[in-house]
Amino acid sequence: MLLALVLSILAAVIALMAPTLLQRAIDGAIPNKDIRQLVILACMMLGTVLISTIFGAIRGMIMAKVGQAMIYDIRRDVFSHLQRLPFAYYDSRPHGKILVRVVQYVNSVSDTLSNGLVNTIIELLNIIFIALFMFMMDARLALVILSGLPVLLGVIFLIKRAQRKANFLFNNKNSNLTAYTCESIEGTKVTQIFNRQKENFDIYMRLNREYQTTWFKRAYLVNLVGPLTDNIRQWVLSLVYVAGVIWFSGSVEIGVLIGMTTYASRFWEPITALANIYNNFLTTISYLERIFQTIDEPVEICDTSHAKPLPNMQGTVQFDHVSFEYEKGVRVLNDVSFSVQKGESVALVGPTGSGKSTIVNLISRFYNITQGQVYIDEVPIEDITLQSLRSQMGIMLQDSFIFSGSIADNIRYGKLDATDEEIRRASHTVCADVFIEQMPDGYETVVNERGGSLSQGQKQLIAFARTMVSDPAILILDEATSAIDARTERLLQQGIANMLKGRTSFIIAHRLSTIKSCDKIMYIENGRIAECGSHEELMAKKGKYYHLCTVQNQA
Amino acid sequence: MFQMRFVWKNLKGRRGMLVGGLILAAFTSVLVVVNPYLSKILVDDAVEGGQTQLLVPLLLLMCGIVFGRQAARFLMVVLMEKSSQHLLMNIRRVIFTNLQNQEMRFFDKIRTGDIITRVTGDLEYVRHFTAYITYCEIDSLVTFISAVVALGFVNMKLTLSMLTVLPLLIVVSLIYSKKVRPLYREIRYRLSQINVTAQENIEGNRVVRAFAREEYEKQKFSEKSQAYQEASVRASFAWQKVVPIIDCLGQMLTFIALLVGGILIINGEITIGDLTMFTGLTWALSQPMKNFSYLINDLQRFFAATDKIIEIYYAKPMIADRHDAVVANGRLTGEITFSHVNFSFGDQPVLQDVSFTVHPGQTVAIMGPTGCGKTTIVNLMSRFYDVDGGSILLDGVDLRRRTLADIRKSIAVATQDVFLFSDTIDGNIAFADPKMPEQRMRDCARLACADGFISEMPEGYDTIIGERGVGLSGGQKQRIALARAIAAQAPVLVLDDTTSAVDMETESKIRRHLHQLPFDCTKVIIAQRISSVKDADQIIILQHGKIAIGTHDTLARTNTYYREICEIQDVEGLPAFEGGAD
Repeated sequence: MLLALVLSILAAVIALMAPTLLQRAIDGAIPNKDIRQLVILACMMLGTVLISTIFGAIRGMIMAKVGQAMIYDIRRDVFSHLQRLPFAYYDSRPHGKILVRVVQYVNSVSDTLSNGLVNTIIELLNIIFIALFMFMMDARLALVILSGLPVLLGVIFLIKRAQRKANFLFNNKNSNLTAYTCESIEGTKVTQIFNRQKENFDIYMRLNREYQTTWFKRAYLVNLVGPLTDNIRQWVLSLVYVAGVIWFSGSVEIGVLIGMTTYASRFWEPITALANIYNNFLTTISYLERIFQTIDEPVEICDTSHAKPLPNMQGTVQFDHVSFEYEKGVRVLNDVSFSVQKGESVALVGPTGSGKSTIVNLISRFYNITQGQVYIDEVPIEDITLQSLRSQMGIMLQDSFIFSGSIADNIRYGKLDATDEEIRRASHTVCADVFIEQMPDGYETVVNERGGSLSQGQKQLIAFARTMVSDPAILILDEATSAIDARTERLLQQGIANMLKGRTSFIIAHRLSTIKSCDKIMYIENGRIAECGSHEELMAKKGKYYHLCTVQNQA
Repeated sequence: MFQMRFVWKNLKGRRGMLVGGLILAAFTSVLVVVNPYLSKILVDDAVEGGQTQLLVPLLLLMCGIVFGRQAARFLMVVLMEKSSQHLLMNIRRVIFTNLQNQEMRFFDKIRTGDIITRVTGDLEYVRHFTAYITYCEIDSLVTFISAVVALGFVNMKLTLSMLTVLPLLIVVSLIYSKKVRPLYREIRYRLSQINVTAQENIEGNRVVRAFAREEYEKQKFSEKSQAYQEASVRASFAWQKVVPIIDCLGQMLTFIALLVGGILIINGEITIGDLTMFTGLTWALSQPMKNFSYLINDLQRFFAATDKIIEIYYAKPMIADRHDAVVANGRLTGEITFSHVNFSFGDQPVLQDVSFTVHPGQTVAIMGPTGCGKTTIVNLMSRFYDVDGGSILLDGVDLRRRTLADIRKSIAVATQDVFLFSDTIDGNIAFADPKMPEQRMRDCARLACADGFISEMPEGYDTIIGERGVGLSGGQKQRIALARAIAAQAPVLVLDDTTSAVDMETESKIRRHLHQLPFDCTKVIIAQRISSVKDADQIIILQHGKIAIGTHDTLARTNTYYREICEIQDVEGLPAFEGGAD
């Protein structure tokens, strides 16, 4: 970077010698009819250009590297930060809006970042050097040329404010448009099912028009700067002639006057360039603001300073008067206490929205507890590093997201160094091997992020295998088998019964067959544990669980 | 050059503006030559010749010309922006409509992030090209020609000697152009990879956390980012290597002007004023030459980007209305007939010779093992795929002879994989008809047993839910999707395992509600629970691409699979098993 700067300065200085050479040729060599000197001067001129362009190119290469490295860093930072943001961040905005920040915006700042700073310095130096040369040539005319500067600064200042606002609005509309496009792609099937293409199209066109309106405003403002600068430049140039010929008449040589007008034009180049850089800079700032907004987004769940890894997790889980609220004042869990021994299996049952998923979300520390404490192996959960905590838990969520790639890769996501044998074994345990092996390329069959031709049940089975291959100490199954048919589920249960031995497991399910086989059943209602015990105990109690079971049988 | 034709085609409606803008660009470029010519007069007559009275008028004239020229420039920018934005709008309109109507097979192949790259990054290049590069090139060309003409008038010898540089420049540019083309394709591809990776990471953020795979994801993303970075640097280096050559060729002009011009002055063929004009105009020759090579660069980018846009622009769905499609008049009754239907995904057969009929108002249930093709039946019914053999009739007319609008309007599906839009709950339920009365929307929510939990939310039906309904539990999402399907009030209502995550009690309530729907409809129910299917008029058991049809009683007596499921689920009061087909 420093080298780039030095090279640029050298290149600029050398290039500046050209007008002096020209002046010497016009005032000296030509009137004297000295062809030898003329040739020397011309060659010197070519030489200066050669050197300055080579320097310029080297600088260009350096800056391309530096600039791309910066982009890489910013992108990595945004992305890394996104990995730590709470679910609420993802849940509360269209995903397209997050995507534009990682990709589009970062790309947009690349040019200004890679060249902006160096160019600014160079152009500033250019201005200083040109001013210096001008003063050396003729101080009075130099002052005349400089008089245009304050006018220009005033104009730019006026435009700047409007531009900032225009940029802000444009970015907003732009991200709305991308987000809607993104969502429409994801939701095409639903749109087609309900024949909503026309309404969606209208919304899309409205967003497009909003985008355009803000774009025009921004574009016009940007394009105002150039013409204004050019007008000012011409007035200054005129002043130089007037000053040289009329005000200081007789005292200015023609060679000097021509040289000065050349400088006047040259002087204006870096200023125009600076105005452009400034323009880009404003745009970049508005993108950077969005990017930094993301980076500044608070991380709610992170390792505390005294967090330690918990190797060889045993799998005892204890809730001690735990309360939790997603939103302030709305209790989702209320004073929940229980303890689960290593190897026990626990079924969580109860009406939808009663807090079952919240309990398992707290065990995997997807959220921080509002009150009370959760202990894993008798260690407060905050004192365990997230990496160590979650890598020893097998969490199978309702949403079985499949990444694009082969089926084997998807399963391997649970254990990155899993061998093919391990993958096959895990698939076999969850009864996924049968359908996978029937696929054209078996485990190497490529699926995309929406799962393509896989059925929902098959996706769940792959997700299940992915969880199994990770060999967890604590297994959490949240509606893990809802889309799997009863027969496969029964086979599955036999398969995982062995796997469950020695592992603590939490199972949320609605199927009685799944629930019955658990060591402990907790009936959750309104954020509290209403009943807790084994199937037999709870049936004998003839309470809520009993009622639930009878409903299922009678239905 | 089909890329250019593509742009021209989509400019329809604003072509005049673009042409007007380009003419203005040409006009204003010619004006550029006027001022140096006036400077020549200025120097020769007013300064050297001592006609000082000419000075001020000449200068004012020059200022006026700059003003006029810049005003015209601004007008040109307006025209260019208007026409290029119109172009964008036209392309986006077609692409969006295309995507909205695209068949499922299309989405099975292409990733969301890839499409996003095309409609953002690639489209931006097309815009940049149309709004900016075109007039820059016109500028360059006109400036170059007028400079040559103007200089030619002053002195032909000097002009011609300066033009000797041109052929060299063209050769250099062409060599470079060949070299850089693959580099830009590479950059584009890498960018698309970044988009795909980031997009999937965002979509799958919960899975990433669940497996504590943050580091792995960062690694994966870093690799993609790095590949993009390297590709960019490579292209940039290729460019930087050629720039000095082009610059030097451009600056050769000054060298020639000074050397040859100097000699010509010494020989008395031209005046000092003439030389000033030459040196003053060398940029008008060198700049266009430089721009020409920039054009090559931008053109390559433009081609790479446009190719990708054209791909999705012309990707027409195979499943579309036939020109002689029958338009239904009025509401259909909802009779569905599968007649000897065959269907396969690639080499994998899914349905083989499947035939059944569901009469209007009947309820049919479909059961079968995971991945047997239950959802496929629904997809075929809604014509998301076309059958490979046989036919599907809706109210007695082959689906392929109906309009897609009629089919979709007649069949409302509550999908298994629930996708909700980031909108209010109200907006999601009233998705089929945003103008439906509030009361109808709420009634549907009540029928789907969703009213309870929605009302408990702080903002009730106006609560905004995130994409894919994250933030809601699985059962809640399913019930909203169910309400959405009911609200469509279509002649056929399909529930594709829509209550799998709903608790037993709510499910039986929903089942009761389904008998009390305020409109007539045929119901197709896919479910895993016997309780959900046993009251159906027909139950279809789908296994290995073949079906068995019956009622609860007959199947429990004769169908091994059904019997087994009944037993697993402890269904009481089963008739004796008589054995039979699997």
